[in-house]
Amino acid sequence: MALLVALPIFVVAFSWVLPKHELWAHFFENLLPSLIHSTVILLVGVGIGVTLLGTVLAYLVVMVEFPGRQWLEWALFLPFAIPAYVLAFVYLGVFDYSGYAQVWMREALGLPGFDIRSGSWAIILTFVLVFYPYVYMMARASFKRQKTNMIEAGKLLGASPIRVFFKISLPLARPAAAAGLLVTLMETLADFGVVSLFNYDTFTTAIYSAWGDFRSIEVAAQLASLLVLVAFFLIHFEKKARGQAKYYSTNVSNKKPYQAHGAVGWLIALFVFGVFMLSFAMPMLQLLIWGWGAVASEWSAKYFDLISSTAILTLSAVIITLMIATVLALPNRCKRGSIWLQSVIRLATLGYALPGSVMAVGLLYGINQISAVNIYFGGESINHIVFGSIALLLFAYVSRFMAIAYSSIEASAQQIKPVFTQSARLLGASRLKLVMQVYLPMITPGILAGGLLVAVDVMKELPATYLLRPFGWDTLAIQVYELSAEGLFERAAVPALIMVLFGSVLMLIFQVLDKHSSKGA
Amino acid sequence: MFINVMLVVRNLSIQYQNNQVLQGFELELAQGEIFALLGDSGSGKSSALHFIAGLDETHSGSVILDGELLSDNGQHQTPPESRGVGMVFQDYALFPHMNVEKNIAFGIDHQSKREQQIRVKELLFLVDLTGIERKYPHQLSGGEQQRVALARALAPAPKLLLLDESFSSLDQKHRETLAKQVRDVLKKTNTTAILVTHDKAEAVAFSDRYGIIKNQKLQEKK
Repeated sequence: MALLVALPIFVVAFSWVLPKHELWAHFFENLLPSLIHSTVILLVGVGIGVTLLGTVLAYLVVMVEFPGRQWLEWALFLPFAIPAYVLAFVYLGVFDYSGYAQVWMREALGLPGFDIRSGSWAIILTFVLVFYPYVYMMARASFKRQKTNMIEAGKLLGASPIRVFFKISLPLARPAAAAGLLVTLMETLADFGVVSLFNYDTFTTAIYSAWGDFRSIEVAAQLASLLVLVAFFLIHFEKKARGQAKYYSTNVSNKKPYQAHGAVGWLIALFVFGVFMLSFAMPMLQLLIWGWGAVASEWSAKYFDLISSTAILTLSAVIITLMIATVLALPNRCKRGSIWLQSVIRLATLGYALPGSVMAVGLLYGINQISAVNIYFGGESINHIVFGSIALLLFAYVSRFMAIAYSSIEASAQQIKPVFTQSARLLGASRLKLVMQVYLPMITPGILAGGLLVAVDVMKELPATYLLRPFGWDTLAIQVYELSAEGLFERAAVPALIMVLFGSVLMLIFQVLDKHSSKGA
Repeated sequence: MFINVMLVVRNLSIQYQNNQVLQGFELELAQGEIFALLGDSGSGKSSALHFIAGLDETHSGSVILDGELLSDNGQHQTPPESRGVGMVFQDYALFPHMNVEKNIAFGIDHQSKREQQIRVKELLFLVDLTGIERKYPHQLSGGEQQRVALARALAPAPKLLLLDESFSSLDQKHRETLAKQVRDVLKKTNTTAILVTHDKAEAVAFSDRYGIIKNQKLQEKK
């Protein structure tokens, strides 16, 4: 099963064995250098941005008491519910040459017009605003585990808050922040929606163009394999960096070491609130304004289909992913240190490093090859059965999001200590009873949390859905992308709002679970 | 005063990565007898207990319980769940997601609901904790958790009860009181038991007979 999940990776790597396509020479000479250049700029810019914003915000909400802290701590998670390409089209719609912000700047202030798509700053800013929660989430959990008395010791030794931050808190939180950063970089590398809306060339857009414009699945697979290489490099460091870092917080104390009074407190509140406004509240408001104006003309019976296909795909993917992840996480508890099992798990969770586009190309290419072998032996092509089938798309989702579900379940499986197994067995429990009455109930919070995160991700997923969706199975994400790609932002706001609404509800449930589990610990 | 032999352990040897810690361990316990096993950390006393319970294997040693050969030459013939051996762990290992009643009834769920309820009440009365059926482990004190763990281990009426450093996480005062209470309960139910500890005073007060592991050998006292 794990092998099957990792199949697209092998397929993509295998593409190098094939004779060089002449298209590859064209890509290599004309496009590759600029692709590498623009991708590196993007990664560096986004990396610096999310690290700064994520750790500073996390430190402020955990260590400092300021006005509005309590609700802002949770509100800062909400941008997770907004797909990156939705934030991108909102910002494009507002700040584009014909967007009202720029029109106002030109007409009222007399400033010269500018092209938001030129250069890298606007796209980097968009990515930072949409991906900072990854670093924020990991760093926050890490700051929470730091004992208050350690910081108090620092204070008593005469260190200023800034010095305590740089000398004590930050070094301790570094592995967690690094893990968040690496996830961000992988997501940036995998993104298709934002870069194509900004007309920004990266590996992902090149893969899409090789397959979509030139119909060369070989070149697409070869480009994809380069991306896989970078992703492996990142995932290796992520594993190293994460170590003991957790997505969950086990709250040690609610006492804040620092109290920000008066003007300083309000300044901090203003800063944190500003981030929340830019990353969630203002885009939401803009979506509401656009959606309100367009809903009468845009809303039609088609939306029932869009919502139902999104819901069916999301639910099926979540159920399958959770089942496989649970099956993988449970024996890992019982038979620790089995190298065989470790490799199976490693294989099954590799998909997270794979951008959705690579996943799709790998699958299409793999099936194409199977057909070729089949025809060679006198059989028939299976392309028409598998291409554009729901099974293939679900397979891509499961393979892509397995790691999220697995790590969430694994984190809660860590509380199943060997003594629980031993004592249940001594009380006469069969293996089935052990699993049903001890293991499953103990990991239920992890299963639920993993399911919610996977659901949000599947709902937002664009590239794999775009390439693999069966005919008539357009999702809300596809609708948002197609409308916004044509600049129909008002109309795109309608499906985007539906998605953000569902996503926010799921994120709120996740937070309630997180709060609950940190209380019980 | 002890007539029936309940437990026989023969020629048990234990080693950790080529380091021999226990050699030729022999033990016989009569029905209802309480034995305490003393020794320093790493002397193999807990490992001996785990072997008798069928949890860990070793390269030599046999266990006969109530006339039935459970382990032979280091290999277990009967898995832990079918041995009729109960165990109280150092950190109690109460299932955190189950309340007291569910924890205690875990090993007797082949009985009817009514029978289970009666048995749980009976055991809670025995360990002096009446009326806490609905509470969860995290709502109990250390001593209370300990007594619930004892009740859970006793519920299926095991032929042998093993106590692995079961009092060591309590403070001195509670430890002595609880050890005495547990001894009374075991005597009342005529349960054969082995306590592993590193506290000699506790061993003397709790057991009918005790032994110390020194230089890989068991030296019996009393």
